[in-house]
Amino acid sequence: MTTGVKTPRSDRPGWLATGLLLLGLAAPAWALDLATVTGLLAQRKSGEARFTEERTVSGIDGPLRAAGVLSFEAPNRFSRLTTEPRAESMVVDGNLLVLKRGGRTRQMTLDAIPEVTALIEAVRGTLTGNAVTLDKHFRIKVEGSTTQWTLTLVPRDERLATQVRELKITGLGGDLRVVELWLAGGDRSVMSIEPLQAMKK
Amino acid sequence: MTRRIGVVLLIWAAVVAACVGQILRTPFTADLSAFLPAEPDAQQRVLIEQLQSGLPARTLLIGIEGGDATARAQASRALAKGLRSSGLFEQVQNGESESFDTIGSWLFDNRYALSPAVGAQRFTVAGLQDAIGETVSLLGTPAGNAVKPILERDPTGETVRIAEALIPSNSPRSEEGVWASRQGQRALLVAINKAPGADLDAQLLAIQRVRDTFAGLGSKGLTLQVSGAPVFGVESRAQIQDEVRQLAIAGTILMSALLLLAFASVPALLVALLPVATGVLVGVATVSLVFGSVHGITLGFGTTLIGEAVDYAFYYLIQARAHGAPHWVRHGWPTIRLGLLTSVCGFAALVFSGFPGLQQLGVFSLAGLIAAALFTRFVMPQILPQGARSSRMRLAMGQGAAHAVAWLPRLRWPLLALGVAAAGLLLVQRDSLWSAQLSSLSPIKQEALDLDASLRADLSAGDARTLAVVQGNDLQTTLQRAEAAGRLLDGLVDQGRIGGYDSVARWLPSLAVQQARISSLPQAEPLRQALAEATQAGPLDAGRLQPFVDEVQAARGRPPVTLAALRETGLSPLIDALLLQRKDGSWVALLPLQPVPGQAATPETAALLQVLQPIPQVQVLEIGAELTRMYAHYLQQAQTQALLGALGVVALMAFTLRSVRRLLSVCQPLLLAVLLTMGLMALFDVQLGILHLVGLLLVVAVGSNYALFFDMLRRDPAAADVDTLASLVLANLTTVLSFALIAMSGIPALSAIGRVVAIGCFLALLLAAAFAPRARAD
Repeated sequence: MTTGVKTPRSDRPGWLATGLLLLGLAAPAWALDLATVTGLLAQRKSGEARFTEERTVSGIDGPLRAAGVLSFEAPNRFSRLTTEPRAESMVVDGNLLVLKRGGRTRQMTLDAIPEVTALIEAVRGTLTGNAVTLDKHFRIKVEGSTTQWTLTLVPRDERLATQVRELKITGLGGDLRVVELWLAGGDRSVMSIEPLQAMKK
Repeated sequence: MTRRIGVVLLIWAAVVAACVGQILRTPFTADLSAFLPAEPDAQQRVLIEQLQSGLPARTLLIGIEGGDATARAQASRALAKGLRSSGLFEQVQNGESESFDTIGSWLFDNRYALSPAVGAQRFTVAGLQDAIGETVSLLGTPAGNAVKPILERDPTGETVRIAEALIPSNSPRSEEGVWASRQGQRALLVAINKAPGADLDAQLLAIQRVRDTFAGLGSKGLTLQVSGAPVFGVESRAQIQDEVRQLAIAGTILMSALLLLAFASVPALLVALLPVATGVLVGVATVSLVFGSVHGITLGFGTTLIGEAVDYAFYYLIQARAHGAPHWVRHGWPTIRLGLLTSVCGFAALVFSGFPGLQQLGVFSLAGLIAAALFTRFVMPQILPQGARSSRMRLAMGQGAAHAVAWLPRLRWPLLALGVAAAGLLLVQRDSLWSAQLSSLSPIKQEALDLDASLRADLSAGDARTLAVVQGNDLQTTLQRAEAAGRLLDGLVDQGRIGGYDSVARWLPSLAVQQARISSLPQAEPLRQALAEATQAGPLDAGRLQPFVDEVQAARGRPPVTLAALRETGLSPLIDALLLQRKDGSWVALLPLQPVPGQAATPETAALLQVLQPIPQVQVLEIGAELTRMYAHYLQQAQTQALLGALGVVALMAFTLRSVRRLLSVCQPLLLAVLLTMGLMALFDVQLGILHLVGLLLVVAVGSNYALFFDMLRRDPAAADVDTLASLVLANLTTVLSFALIAMSGIPALSAIGRVVAIGCFLALLLAAAFAPRARAD
């Protein structure tokens, strides 16, 4: 049940990309590919979900917990509002990143910080089903079936790779359920996602 | 008589030698700051300081195009490395973050003096709980990787607190680890020159170094783009120098050809050029004496003086031919003197304007014309007492002129009708008639401006168009006001009305604030107790935090951050962009405001002022709008002065002519000439600026000579011989041709004057002849 399918690089000519996609579609039914997964995800144009996060950090007693709400609106908007243990928010709209922590607001341009862009695209690109963006930032392994799948993302950006080893994103059909982040030092965070409402199709 | 020649020539030679001596010591400038007010108001003062010596005046914007992203990034790194080691630049930025390391450790060492969160509340149980909680919330995320190594030393996250305030809200895009444009394929660098912006030679050297270093990289397929104020300054100067030289050469050749045709004699030609040369020399030397330097545009204007000063020579050479020098001194000179006085009236208006650039033009014209007239009056009769002999061409010219003078009055009514039409057109278009664009003075080409704008847009950072400005008599007051302004601006950031702002107070808090922070740091024992309580329920064990307790103790004894210490750390470029000391010892702090990313502009100046209004002497400066406002004010002032100058000309003529009828008949063609010239400009949608206005003033000054001439002919019909008419036509021809040359100049300032005066003077002669009072004697 396990087939790694390389998706076409975005800088290859269009006909080649199309050709590879067609090959992917022609492959046996058990060979799941990125296009199929992002195709499932792309059907949702917006959504909102509760998340709980557990972070395991060496040298810190017990897991660190956080909870809040994720929401997105295709193609460009994504936000993560943390309600516990402290109120924080991160809102991404296009190229604008707005962070609020401890009552302070910071605004930044996303493309000035490629590492952050890649991390945000891992979640925003998955939620909105943007295969091209995901492939631009990560080497991707696809496992599972259309009902339950896992994407393993390894950063292409060298600087990000020194910080983040990989991301593992698990989903059920068109829903994102778990985002697992492995940091280079061995620290780890697992974000579980519970859809809050029936998402609009 | 011979002794008199000797004395006169000796005086003249001494004057010329003195002028040349002065000119040789004169620095020539080409920056537009000469066209900024000499006595600015507080708002303008900050702006002018910025334009003249601020960071933008010595900042080069560099782009690398072509190839692929990797090639561009390599070239960017290599170029930056080469430039950094050249020693010419204070700072070279290309987006590589490695250069931040030393600054980072300095910030870390001084965190308890710099962090805005430090205060008594911070070290209570609740405060520690909150601060540690915030730091811990970063652990296990990618951002936590930066926090974790310093967790034991800085569990309250002061370093993060400082760093997040310093992250610019608008930064260039980063590609392959260096700055790159958002659209298009371009790597970006910023290089800040050590030398002041006004030192154009040093700026030229720096620009050359950028080009040479890039050429030395041997990168195939990549092209270099360099822009910024230094490039504009250097190129304008080169262009003005080139053009002034070309204009002078072309003007001299043209005049010489005309003179040769008219006099058919090389000595006469040389003598006729002497008043012009004398006038230009005296003019430049006087400007240099009065202002300490001479602006390129003033020099360019000098060539226009040829047009008027050469007339004096014509009048003398031709009129002295008929009756000899003594007769000319009695009958010809008074007319020239009156013409000179009217011109003096016109240009005196410029001298009283509030702008050094215009004052220079005024002083130059006054001194030059007076010198040329004095030369004609006192030296010419000594050198060529009999004037210059006639030529066939001049005879033909005179006869043609006589016919024209006889025929032109038939055009009175059509010309009047045209005048009325022009007045009507001007009335209809009165709102779009004048253009208040400072750029109309600048010789910078549109493509160069476009490149500059696109580089600036790509870099976005460091190019705030809106600044909050606070000032104080001493450094501490200024820093305290910057801190107060920062607190108010934080509110705007939270409301999402601005993206962020820079402030020197982030690097250099006032002593009061630093002392308050340091004195709020607790002693070891109370801190340990509070820590134990605060971390009881948390995931971080207080036992690990001994380094924190030690560092807080160390910070209590640490001297405050000073300006000198900042400079030693290599932060001078940063500080100089945000903090200036004036000559009088007072200080100015600039807080550049960044718009919300993706939005073009910050809120309205008035709205910002409203927010900042509690701070004494606060200002909000919007650079583009302020420049336009200043130029509009400048234009208005120049209009008033031109009008006063014109009134002065009329008053002078009224005084001399002592007859309302004669005055009217002299003024009529002048008024019509001005109306028709402006009408023509309006017809071709040429918006009028200050230099057009100066041109119109010249038309009045030169045109009044023509009108007076015809007035003289009416009273002394015998003087209206072919030779005299020829001198008039020649005088006009030289004026029109020399200004037509200038009209073709690529420097907008010169071509504006040229077009107006060439057209205006031609019309003035035509109209003066058409409306000449008839003597019925010929």
